[in-house]
Amino acid sequence: MIEVLNVKKDFNSGKPNEFRALCGINLSIAGNRITVLKGPSGSGKTTLLSLIGGMARPTSGRIMVGTREITSLPERFLTNIRRSTFGFIFQQFNLIGGLTVLENVTIPAYPLGERHSTLEKRAMRLLQAFDVAPKAASLIEWLSGGEAQRVAIARALINDPAVIIADEPTAHLDTKLSREFMEIMAGLKSKGKTLLIASHDAIVYDSPLVDRVIGLRDGKIEEP
Amino acid sequence: MRTWIERQRNIMDFTISSLWRRKGKNLALVFVYTAVVFMLASVIFFTHAIKREASLVLKEAPEMIIQRMQAGRHEIVPVSYAALIGKIRGVTSVVTRLWGYYYDPVIGANYTLLVPTDSVPEAGKISIGAGIARTRRVSPGETLEFLAFDGSVINLEIAQILSSESELLSADLMLLSSSDFTMVFGIPVDYATDITVRVRNPKELATIAAKIAKILPNTRQILRDDILRTYDALFNWRAGMMLFILAGAMLAFGIFAWDKASGLSLEERREIGILKGVGWETGDVIVMKFWEGIVISLTSFLLGVLLAYVHVFFASSVFFESALKGWSVLYPRFKLIPTLDFSQIASLFFLTVLPYTVATIIPSWRAATADPDSVMRT
Amino acid sequence: MIRKSSFWLVFLATAIVLFFLMFLHAWSAEKAAIRVMQKKAAMVRILALTDLCIFTEANYTRHLSQADIHTPFQDSPLSLEHFPSGSLAMPPPTIRRGYENLD
Repeated sequence: MIEVLNVKKDFNSGKPNEFRALCGINLSIAGNRITVLKGPSGSGKTTLLSLIGGMARPTSGRIMVGTREITSLPERFLTNIRRSTFGFIFQQFNLIGGLTVLENVTIPAYPLGERHSTLEKRAMRLLQAFDVAPKAASLIEWLSGGEAQRVAIARALINDPAVIIADEPTAHLDTKLSREFMEIMAGLKSKGKTLLIASHDAIVYDSPLVDRVIGLRDGKIEEP
Repeated sequence: MRTWIERQRNIMDFTISSLWRRKGKNLALVFVYTAVVFMLASVIFFTHAIKREASLVLKEAPEMIIQRMQAGRHEIVPVSYAALIGKIRGVTSVVTRLWGYYYDPVIGANYTLLVPTDSVPEAGKISIGAGIARTRRVSPGETLEFLAFDGSVINLEIAQILSSESELLSADLMLLSSSDFTMVFGIPVDYATDITVRVRNPKELATIAAKIAKILPNTRQILRDDILRTYDALFNWRAGMMLFILAGAMLAFGIFAWDKASGLSLEERREIGILKGVGWETGDVIVMKFWEGIVISLTSFLLGVLLAYVHVFFASSVFFESALKGWSVLYPRFKLIPTLDFSQIASLFFLTVLPYTVATIIPSWRAATADPDSVMRT
Repeated sequence: MIRKSSFWLVFLATAIVLFFLMFLHAWSAEKAAIRVMQKKAAMVRILALTDLCIFTEANYTRHLSQADIHTPFQDSPLSLEHFPSGSLAMPPPTIRRGYENLD
């Protein structure tokens, strides 16, 4: 479903702190599977995720999502595709403070200009699915770690994307919540979604629910 | 179209939620901003209305006034001068005026006593301005005491009170008969305070004034034009207190804009990163910043101007009272006729709303255009 | 749940309507005041008035157009600017004419 073709990514080209994050990655990620990128910090996992998710452009190489090549698209189209195709779960959840749960979940859909009532209904359904509906009007500062995690997942799903990308989702979670997270991921897979998770947490990459583990080290894929 | 509206409203929702997070600070900002606009707009409305009124009513002022000067002071003028002036070609009427200032020790106020040439009050009776009635708390039928020039006390009965609509002209005015005037001030019968002159052809005014200056070299000629120009220059932005008010206001707006323009805080940058990370485009972020600027500045502008209008035209500019009153005891009630100058309001809009909004948008440009992947790295 | 933008938009709409009403009020008040203005102008003509009654502190502040450089000194040698109204009203143009430069 996602093809990564000889992608290289350099940072700070020409400057003294220039460094190469990815050195020619070739990868094929299957749809409707849970794929884990495993590797230590600095291996380039986050960079690869952000390139696949259309958040940045590779220095060279191409990325295909479905049948579409996203690397050469102008920002407007890229953002559109990213919005409708990908849902992101960030390492620190990155929920916006001072706003309610409901607002946080609906924010990714704001620029689309959908009818407000429809959007809100969809958001509530997602919150219900993750058992955080009663907290819809609460400020996110009042959420527990587990609730915040589920709100972050709900936000990632608001535009009904085909692919969920998660970067170190269990970094700030205890074992129980980490296992819960993996089960939620399995549930999403059964609904037809493709999941791509970067993690150096064993609970994630050793989980029986994972379909494929790809090792990354120093910007290159490790031979299994 | 519907989508566009919903998109704007959604972004507006976010902007207002975002501003509401720091409720105290933003409400204080709106309050101060509104207060500055209120003050500026009040000043603009007030001065515009007064100057307009001056130009409309004072164009009926005498065409020329002749004052006699002696030892550098304005002194009473012999009535015989009037005959000399009357002989000049082009002069249609010459009328001597009797008027003067009376200091009332009871309340410490200055009155202007005037003998009218038409509908002169009977001897012993006076018509007083609404300001005097108000300050002395008197009404028709009561008497006022006057300390005459020779130490005697003169009682004059109040016949009527001049209309309150004309307070801007007559608040401190007292109309009395010439015999009473002479009794109070002791001006000799063949003298007057000054002389008014009317001419056939207004274009000849300056020439005639020059002729009068020649035959009566110890006099000063004041033309109607001078009177009108005096009031055009009243409350001029370039003078005194007004300059300070303007400078203060511009400083305030400068500070508001600078506060916004001096860059985004770390938190704001992070939030923009999150927004871009979850799918907002650069344009969406800019729109959000635009609404952020507009919500604050437009709210303050509208509130400030509306309140200023009420202040000046319904509340007689109460807040200006202490500044305008100075040391006067007698102070007119400013029942100004509402008048608006669209260009002044537009200038106020561009001075207040535009810089603030621009100052809100510009610093976020870089954060708004950054690649969203920066949020992955925090 | 009422949307936050609704609150502000309602305020904005109200304020804009009031703004238009304000202009309307000013326009109609000016028209209605023509008679009052004419009466005041008549008063100026009949009584031969020369100044608006704004500052009644001293004779040269009350009759701005009739004052000259020396009038303030009739009150006191220090008079020239000791009334607060001096910071609001500029000297009349008549002062700048008809005299030799005193400095």
